[in-house]
Amino acid sequence: MAINLTRRKFLKTASIAAASVPLSKVTAHAEAGVVKTPLIPKGSFKDTKTVTGGICEMCFWRCQLVGKVRDGVLKKIEGNPKSIDNGSALCARGNAGIKLLYDPDRLKYPMKNMGKRGEPKWKRISWEEALDECGKKLKATVDKHGPEGIAMFPHGASAKYPMHYFEHVVGTPNVSEASFFQCRGVRDYAWLSTIGAAPGEHVDMANAKVIFGLGCHFGENIHVSHTKRYLKGLENGAKLVIVDPRFSASASKADIWMQIKPGTDTAMLLAMMNYLVENKKFNAEYVDEYGEGFDEFKEAISPWTLEKAAKECDVPAAQIKEIADLLAANAPNVSIHPGRFSSWYGNDFQRGRALACLAGLLGAFGVPGGFVKGIGPGGFGKVKWGHGHEAIKALHREAKVHHQSPAGTPTDLIRDCAITSKPYPIKSCVVWGQNPIQTIPNQQKTIDMLMQMDFVMCVDVMPTDITMYADILLPEASYLERYDYIKKGTQWDLSAKQQQYVSARMPLVEAEFERKDQVYICNELAKRMGNEEAIPVQTIEEMVDKILEPASLSIKKLNEEDGIHLQPGKDPYGDFLDINFFSEDLVEQGYPGAPTYEPIPDVPKGYLRLLFGRSPLHSFNRTQNNAWLHNAMPENPVWIHDKTAKLLGLKDGDRISMVNSEGVESGTTSHVKVTPGIREDCVFIAHGHGTQNAAMTVAKDAGIDDQKLVTILAVDPETGCHGMRNNFIKIVKA
Amino acid sequence: MKMNSHSDIDSQESIILADIYQFLAYTMGYPEPELIGNPFLDAMEKMLENYGMHSEQQDIDAWRQSEKDEDLSDTLQIEYTRLFINAVPKIIAPPYASFYLDGDHNLQGKTTQKTRDYYRQYGCDITNPHEPADHIQLELEFLASLCRDYELDAEEMFLKTLFRPWFKQFYNRIIEDQGHPFYRVSVQLIDYITKEEQ
Repeated sequence: MAINLTRRKFLKTASIAAASVPLSKVTAHAEAGVVKTPLIPKGSFKDTKTVTGGICEMCFWRCQLVGKVRDGVLKKIEGNPKSIDNGSALCARGNAGIKLLYDPDRLKYPMKNMGKRGEPKWKRISWEEALDECGKKLKATVDKHGPEGIAMFPHGASAKYPMHYFEHVVGTPNVSEASFFQCRGVRDYAWLSTIGAAPGEHVDMANAKVIFGLGCHFGENIHVSHTKRYLKGLENGAKLVIVDPRFSASASKADIWMQIKPGTDTAMLLAMMNYLVENKKFNAEYVDEYGEGFDEFKEAISPWTLEKAAKECDVPAAQIKEIADLLAANAPNVSIHPGRFSSWYGNDFQRGRALACLAGLLGAFGVPGGFVKGIGPGGFGKVKWGHGHEAIKALHREAKVHHQSPAGTPTDLIRDCAITSKPYPIKSCVVWGQNPIQTIPNQQKTIDMLMQMDFVMCVDVMPTDITMYADILLPEASYLERYDYIKKGTQWDLSAKQQQYVSARMPLVEAEFERKDQVYICNELAKRMGNEEAIPVQTIEEMVDKILEPASLSIKKLNEEDGIHLQPGKDPYGDFLDINFFSEDLVEQGYPGAPTYEPIPDVPKGYLRLLFGRSPLHSFNRTQNNAWLHNAMPENPVWIHDKTAKLLGLKDGDRISMVNSEGVESGTTSHVKVTPGIREDCVFIAHGHGTQNAAMTVAKDAGIDDQKLVTILAVDPETGCHGMRNNFIKIVKA
Repeated sequence: MKMNSHSDIDSQESIILADIYQFLAYTMGYPEPELIGNPFLDAMEKMLENYGMHSEQQDIDAWRQSEKDEDLSDTLQIEYTRLFINAVPKIIAPPYASFYLDGDHNLQGKTTQKTRDYYRQYGCDITNPHEPADHIQLELEFLASLCRDYELDAEEMFLKTLFRPWFKQFYNRIIEDQGHPFYRVSVQLIDYITKEEQ
């Protein structure tokens, strides 16, 4: 600093200098950011109102919202009192959505990476320049390598429209959704091959006599209407059975908690079913009427005695019998919950099949308390991209593996193909709302895949870890700032007055800075890639209206009805589904026809199995930077058994890091929670913590990232989905 | 001549003050090449020379000599993004008052509302409702508007209650970062023009 000027001296000098420094001239042509306006009296507020029509996306459950908006700024989020789904209730994350909206770390403008991939040096650029660059690079990849030269990693509602564009118009099969391949895809396809439908979470827990949850963390995964069903069931006296290596929130409310050895669930289910069959405690009438391949099934599961399973699962045989008897005594009014996140151990398809078969044996379909899908409103329009190119055969179809793969292509096949260029090169990557660094196991392989790309673009709301690898980074409007697909359904308690609802995501406030919605971004890409003629709608509002129009609804009408249209519903009971106990199709594809138990690797001496799951305060990584949620749960405590802790010289609250059996270190630390509520050979942490990108200023290094430690890859043979709980760690005192 | 309680600043000086605020406001906006070109940088250097800020002037001059004219705004754009928008490892100084004053890791906080209310009280408002009203560029533009209207009491009150309470933290972050001279010098100039008389 040259001199210590005071304001007065500064001004005097400026006055003298004014003649020689024509400041007003050099700024004369600039656009003003503050202008004269008609006087607004002090204390008045423009536009103070309650805005209806919001739909939450702090998780995927999509609760209905209203917003208190003052002067264009969202001040508070509440449940929409008209909702027959979540009602006026919201979870902690839903309430904290406002902190995502106004998070200073959010992406604000399109940016170009002027540095290296992984070590970005960002420069704000115009949308025009950003889209031109994306369009040019993606088109160049298609021209040189064909549509299969593009890989896409989408996630969330806003990624659906662009995902369909890349799949159907561009024509790449190399699309991997984390919600399938690292989450529920294995469940959906296991049940699909057993009952002909993906199960969702369609169990009528509110009216059940027994609720059976295998690894279900009700209360730790809060989905409001789902949790209402669960709690109503308990309130009505339902018995609760929870099978989990950990004393979870649900286990704490359970009548029976089975502390099973990880990975052995299918053995327990087979023994339970064998017991029911052998003792004629199953619903023979239902099986006769709706079962397929029961005799082959019966034969296949016959080796599984209670004792054999008890040994394999490290649980008392009497407890398996007790649960089986409880279910049989209360059948068919039992909820055999299909679970949701199912990418556990790489033997998960068979577990899903076994669960569906158990429900079938009990006849727990179409009856109060059983598997019942509410009958929601129908007659809506569809917005579809035209099919521009003949679809290229997906990698798993070519290789004739993973015949039960969810839509898209199994992640590892895409990643391996990109890294090796075999059978073909994959040279551009589109990431839309997903953070593959924290969704896909073996981070180094993901990074290797990204580094060999000619071009990487990311669309997101936050600077998540994956965005460090983008060449172009585009800021998307959040769920509170844009329209989106409709949400429809019924009242949450299926036995209550039958009603149907229709709502559409509508913005509570306008998008700030230069954030744009997915329809705008994707259409502009399509134009630049020579696919303008395939564009199905010009705006996101048009998309929503096209979906609503055949049902005689519109955005305008929904707005007039406070965001939610209600109409009379239909009795949902009486839908008795066919059960494929033994599948010839699966046999033809080279898989077992009946549910089969496949053991997983045991914990090596000196190590602990790393288990991970949900916390009620975070939706994995996507809420980590949220200041309220972070304050409530800044990091993920490491659950460790009393005895194990004593052996390792650990006490409650000690700081630790982890290293896995392949020598990969967690890098960050967390604190120990010493508890008798976990098996001695396991540790448990909530998933999604330990963000690496320092641009997430709240979340950076807060807690341990389990995904970093998941380097041993297990892949479910039927579906190609990952199993992520076959990794083993040692504790390192920090 | 219109008089004000700030008897030591006459209305002509107030216009000069307005021009300075306006000029400095644009140093805090995104450096588009149409604005931050040679005339703008010449004016900045001239100011520095007049104020006796010779080493700062030399820093700016050295930078200009080291780069081609067409690269100047590019360099500033990368630096602006790093300082104020998004960066790895993290941005240096979010340019919004509420970030510093309201705590709780937030934009559009109570301070943003108070700031916009203050603008409106003096017949002003922001032209782009999609950006928070408490961005430093907008606050400096508002101060320019007050000075143009010879509302020096209001200017002083705004500085005291809504600008200086956060500017010093913002300023320190930029000075400590030791980044590009353009922004170091700009915040020094802003500091001089907005700080209270000693």
